[in-house]
Amino acid sequence: MFYKLKFFSPWVALSVLIFCIFASPIFIVLGSLFGDYSNNWIHLYNYVLGGYLFNSFFLILGVSIISLVLGIGSAWLITNYNFFGKNFFDWALILPLAVPPYILAYTFTGLFDSYGTVNNLIRELFVLDPSYIFFPNVRNIYGAIIVFSFTLYPYIYLATRIAFLNQSKSLREVGETLGLNKLGVFFKLTLPMIRPAIIGGLMLVIMETLSDFGAVEHFAVQTFTTGIFRTWYGMYDLQTAMQLSSLLLIFITFFLVLERYSRKNVSYTSGSPTYGKIEGKQLVGGKNFLCFLFCLLPLMIGFILPISELTNWALNYKLDFFDASFIKNSLNTIYLALIAAFLCSSIALIINFSGRIQRNKFFGFLSSSLSLGYGLPGIILAIGIMQLFIFLDNYIIFLNFVFTGSILGLLIAYVIKAYALANTSIESGYIRISPYMEDIAKTLTASNFKILFQVHLPLLKTSFLTSALLVISEVIKELPATLILRPFNFDTLAVSTYIYASEERMYEAAAPSIAIVLVGLIPIYFLTKAIRSSRPGKEN
Amino acid sequence: MLIVENLHHSYDKGENILKGINLNVSNGEIISILGGSGSGKTSFLRVLSGLEKPYDGKIFIEDVLVVSNDYFLPAHKRNIGLVLQEKGLFPHLNILKNVCFGLKGPKKDQKEISIDLLSKFKVDQYQEKFPNSLSGGEQQRVAIARALAPKPKILLMDEPFGSLDRGLRESLREETKLFLQENEITCIMVTHDEEDAEFMSDRIFLLENGKLNIHQKF
Repeated sequence: MFYKLKFFSPWVALSVLIFCIFASPIFIVLGSLFGDYSNNWIHLYNYVLGGYLFNSFFLILGVSIISLVLGIGSAWLITNYNFFGKNFFDWALILPLAVPPYILAYTFTGLFDSYGTVNNLIRELFVLDPSYIFFPNVRNIYGAIIVFSFTLYPYIYLATRIAFLNQSKSLREVGETLGLNKLGVFFKLTLPMIRPAIIGGLMLVIMETLSDFGAVEHFAVQTFTTGIFRTWYGMYDLQTAMQLSSLLLIFITFFLVLERYSRKNVSYTSGSPTYGKIEGKQLVGGKNFLCFLFCLLPLMIGFILPISELTNWALNYKLDFFDASFIKNSLNTIYLALIAAFLCSSIALIINFSGRIQRNKFFGFLSSSLSLGYGLPGIILAIGIMQLFIFLDNYIIFLNFVFTGSILGLLIAYVIKAYALANTSIESGYIRISPYMEDIAKTLTASNFKILFQVHLPLLKTSFLTSALLVISEVIKELPATLILRPFNFDTLAVSTYIYASEERMYEAAAPSIAIVLVGLIPIYFLTKAIRSSRPGKEN
Repeated sequence: MLIVENLHHSYDKGENILKGINLNVSNGEIISILGGSGSGKTSFLRVLSGLEKPYDGKIFIEDVLVVSNDYFLPAHKRNIGLVLQEKGLFPHLNILKNVCFGLKGPKKDQKEISIDLLSKFKVDQYQEKFPNSLSGGEQQRVAIARALAPKPKILLMDEPFGSLDRGLRESLREETKLFLQENEITCIMVTHDEEDAEFMSDRIFLLENGKLNIHQKF
């Protein structure tokens, strides 16, 4: 009978309330499937939906193949061979994650368009006719595939590299003694063992690709996200936009479940307290150069080229780089990011603390469910929140507050998108705090509030700060939800980048883009730290 | 001082780890409970301290009901001290602040009480230091001082000397026993070490198969 009593507490109530607030936009979107279907839907269904499906599949197929080759290939080379620049590539290959796909898309067209930097350079170098175009049109689905592959492959690289690091040399040696050659060891032992890690990384790549709005819109590729945006902004048909969103949500959920499932099986890799360290084989001559080139290519396209092009734009921008609108948009972004970071980290702290104090698996379930938000496209969240706010404004009058167009919607979207990042950091901080701490504090007559503020919070200072930084970096680059939910005349760095790029004012897009990339480097620092400390046990 | 009636406890609705425990402890009495690992010693202490809700049974402290089938007084309202083998000192607080943690009232009084206790356990010179700079024995002295600071009605100790070497162990248990006797503090200690139990206690019990019996050997 006490188990039942234990379940009811203010901490349970608070956590459930938080969950309901943040899950409601998703349920609202899914609920639209059971509503009326308008003529717009019938038109979309008959003429456009097939195209969305085909483009989405073609896009994820192409992105998956290239990302897998780049991610697994570079991780394999760095783990098993010593070549020129290996130590540099080990961490630098993650850098493209700092560049959101839509910024790479803008710089990519700036570089490779018919009259872009590269075509101009080739014409000048070889004194060619001004109508000569060396690089073909990149504003199509193939350009989009390249952009997504070269910004998202680090998800696969990271997962695979960690899995390779956790593999014991002795397993490979056993394979060799059983008659497998190097290729046999790779395809029959190494690859199957790291399969869960690869699938996990690949699912993230696919989810990000399906969720993107900025890049596909720039390349004029018709996918679900562009369709949702046009249905809502072009036809002003929120119901049909929600129904389209539901379809995308079902798609994404499938990949999300696969990603979660693959994470459970990461224990394929060795967690033994001792392991045989995999010594890299020294490469010389042509092989050394080829490995160097293989690792340089993704870094060049995914990071060095866009940064060079952004710098080029910034230098060519004759107006003030830090003009009034840049300062204003930066302040708006910082203001939003700081509130979202505090909210998100506090919610993660409250839910983890409640789970810790109540010792109840229910909170683990709540946390995992909220963490699924990272896979949800911003555009779906925005549509769900918009519908929720329209309902609240129509039926619930709360101190004359108008929900629609307030920053509240943005904050809800950001918290849902970034909760997983905050939770990972707070959760790993809690793992390091012995449960005896709160037991002792309780017997010293400390209330739960005292335990939270005087014991846990001081011990979680670093985790809380890390969580806040990760949320900030996520919020700053978020585009579709910000575009839809921002208050009137309230631009952020991501939104101003989008607006400048859509108006082909690329030079002016440089300042906000560089700022976004610089902030995007924050999680890279933490990822690099994580990868270095990922090897279990100690060397023998 | 402490009356336990027909106490049952289990984890996650599994098999009962405590099966109908009855115990009556007088004021100022020190008792020890011996048992192997997994016998339920620590669970018993957690239930007494209010960190766990038992499945069934009653507990009275100073004739006041703290647990029954439909009433539960949580740990922070019971005024019971707890000392663990793992010490559980708060790493972000210095020694003085660790001991002050459970005290209420003016800061000056809290400081006075804490320094007095630290000096009784011979660790007052470390009051500004942080736990990680103290040895295991010194940390355990601080942990005992901290548990005693709020003047608990009962002190519960879980293998308090378990991680100490022989010399330290003997001197600390002697000082602890002397302090408990001088201040007439009721104490329940669980241990697997018969020597510790014999030295410290007025009575010794054996916890086996969820039942508490008087240890025949003593």
